[in-house]
Amino acid sequence: MNLRENFKMAIDSVLANKMRSFLTMLGIIIGIAAVIAILGIGNGATSEITGTFNDLGASTITLSVSNDATDSEAITDADVTALKESIPEIERVSANNTTSASVRSDFDTRDALLSYGMPDLQYINQTMDSTIVYGRYFNQSDYLDSKDVTVISEDTAAALFNGQTDVVGEQLKISDNAGNQSDLTVIGVVKGTFQDLQGSFDLSQMPVYAAVPLTTMEKMNPTIKGINSLTIQVDSKDAIESVSKQAVRILETRHDAVGEDWYSATNFLQALDQVDNVMSLFINFIAAVAAIALLVGGIGVMNIMLVSVTERTREIGTRKALGATTGTILAQFLMESVILCLIGGIIGLVLGIFLASVVSNALDIVPNITIGSVLLVLFFSSAVGIFFGIYPARKAARLDPIEALRYE
Amino acid sequence: MIEIKDITKIYRTGGEPLVALDKISLSIQEGEFTAIMGPSGSGKSTMMNILGLLDRFDSGTYYLNGKDVSHLSDNEGAHVRNKEIGFVFQSFNLMPRMTILENVELPMVYANVPKKERNERAVKALERVGLGNRVKHRPNEISGGQKQRVAIARAIVNTPSVLMADEPTGNLDSKTTLDIMRIFQELNAEGTTVVMVTHEPEVAEYTKRVVLFKDGVIRDDYPQQQKIL
Ligand SMILES: Nc1ncnc2c1ncn2[C@@H]1O[C@H](COP(=O)(O)OP(=O)(O)OP(=O)(O)O)[C@@H](O)[C@H]1O
Ligand SMILES: [Mg+2]
Repeated sequence: MNLRENFKMAIDSVLANKMRSFLTMLGIIIGIAAVIAILGIGNGATSEITGTFNDLGASTITLSVSNDATDSEAITDADVTALKESIPEIERVSANNTTSASVRSDFDTRDALLSYGMPDLQYINQTMDSTIVYGRYFNQSDYLDSKDVTVISEDTAAALFNGQTDVVGEQLKISDNAGNQSDLTVIGVVKGTFQDLQGSFDLSQMPVYAAVPLTTMEKMNPTIKGINSLTIQVDSKDAIESVSKQAVRILETRHDAVGEDWYSATNFLQALDQVDNVMSLFINFIAAVAAIALLVGGIGVMNIMLVSVTERTREIGTRKALGATTGTILAQFLMESVILCLIGGIIGLVLGIFLASVVSNALDIVPNITIGSVLLVLFFSSAVGIFFGIYPARKAARLDPIEALRYE
Repeated sequence: MIEIKDITKIYRTGGEPLVALDKISLSIQEGEFTAIMGPSGSGKSTMMNILGLLDRFDSGTYYLNGKDVSHLSDNEGAHVRNKEIGFVFQSFNLMPRMTILENVELPMVYANVPKKERNERAVKALERVGLGNRVKHRPNEISGGQKQRVAIARAIVNTPSVLMADEPTGNLDSKTTLDIMRIFQELNAEGTTVVMVTHEPEVAEYTKRVVLFKDGVIRDDYPQQQKIL
């Protein structure tokens, strides 16, 4: 008997008891749908996160100074120069810290995010568009002479100057939390729009943004000495690990702090590793849930196949009388359980894809259902069908023809 | 074509072993139409099941078409049944979910006959029993007599050397019984060997030979003038 005949018989038999077949498949359907949906959403979320990290620059290292370190460990201008000189893979270094302050113009006062750092400041904030709109950025002389200058974002300008954005040359008064004050001249306006990170920031709710040279900040607030974090951009992802190590070693040497663990480097690769770790934990968990669902589904299939074999004992006897061999009967019942599981798997697959796209839509991510997971579903459904179908099928195949024919 | 010698069948299921067939020897030639008769429990069905290679026996030998079939494996037995023996059962034993045509095709499916040839041969067999116009129906849509005719079509479709029927008319009324006996007579006239069990003497009259069983032995065995339908 060939496969096609066998297939047709199995389909006929599954369709003969539609409701029963459906209920039998339910375990498999639910299990597969859950797996597909969760994998789809999980993969979608991972690539969303990975994509964001890549946008932010996967070739970026953040060096930070521990909170336990003293002022003498803060990162100085000389450190930055040393890093740049000793590590050729470094493209640029941005040194900045952020504090909160209030900014006052002739027209208005606002709370502000006050960013202070070294001359490469414009590269600090990877999430912000720092294209210059008016004026210019800080230069070396602003920095060395601690000039009272500031660069603000367009919407900061608009907020402080009655909607006007070309405010180069205007005066601002800045006061920090400690009450230190300083009068600053606006020398540049940057776009300052934030890149989209999962939806967009409502800028009207944000404090205004202003940046000053580190030296200016130190002059205004004498307790500030240097900077406690650096952002380093390297020329290729491959250099990240080695540059991270070298940079930490250089800082430790320069500050005589070898082995103190005061400097640490984190990079997006590590963050990605963490995402991967979380995801693989998640996927293992799902695999366990799926295994249980498939186990329960498979037991359901086995149960119904055993019922089916008993119900069809006389049919099996007749088939044997007509010349069906043990193998033929085995194949027939095995095919039936595989078909049950496979149809269940396919329904589960469709349901899972549907669920994944509904949920992903709500989360604003793109579900990612791979050919791999589809093949895996088909493979596992068939495997469950074979595994749980083999016992009932063998039972059918081994029936003694005369006893089967006599069965009432 | 059928040669059995000293066949003994003992059932050991109950408390005491039961000798259902006691050293039976029987020879049936090609073209014969034999009725196996006898009271209930005399061993008729047991004999038929052994002749049909559905059941095993404890001792003795069985030659079918000159071949020793006493000790076949399950699958060898299946092949011989498929090729050489056509079964007609008392309760028809059709597959309820299959059409009549598919039912008749089934033995050919097991013989790996290609689809097209299967179809042609099944239609021919159904025409042979007068059901050429009902091929798409399912068994629950036809009468008992028609079901038994389908079963006969299924039994002859692989052109077996012998037809075996255990009380084929047991579930039929007297008129349809005659229809079925007529078909058996026609098939026999065309050369098919037929062995059937019946406990109705009026049915046995349409056969050419009577073998009478009693308590697991052959009590009588005689040829008779066949009553032609
Ligand atoms: N599977 C079995 N297990 C035990 N004993 C059996 C079995 N089948 C038949 N017998 C016994 O074997 C003897 C012969 O039974 P068999 O079925 O061959 O009789 P029969 O001539 O066909 O009777 P009937 O006319 O009632 O069909 C009977 O005594 C019966 O009880
Ligand atoms: Mg009987």
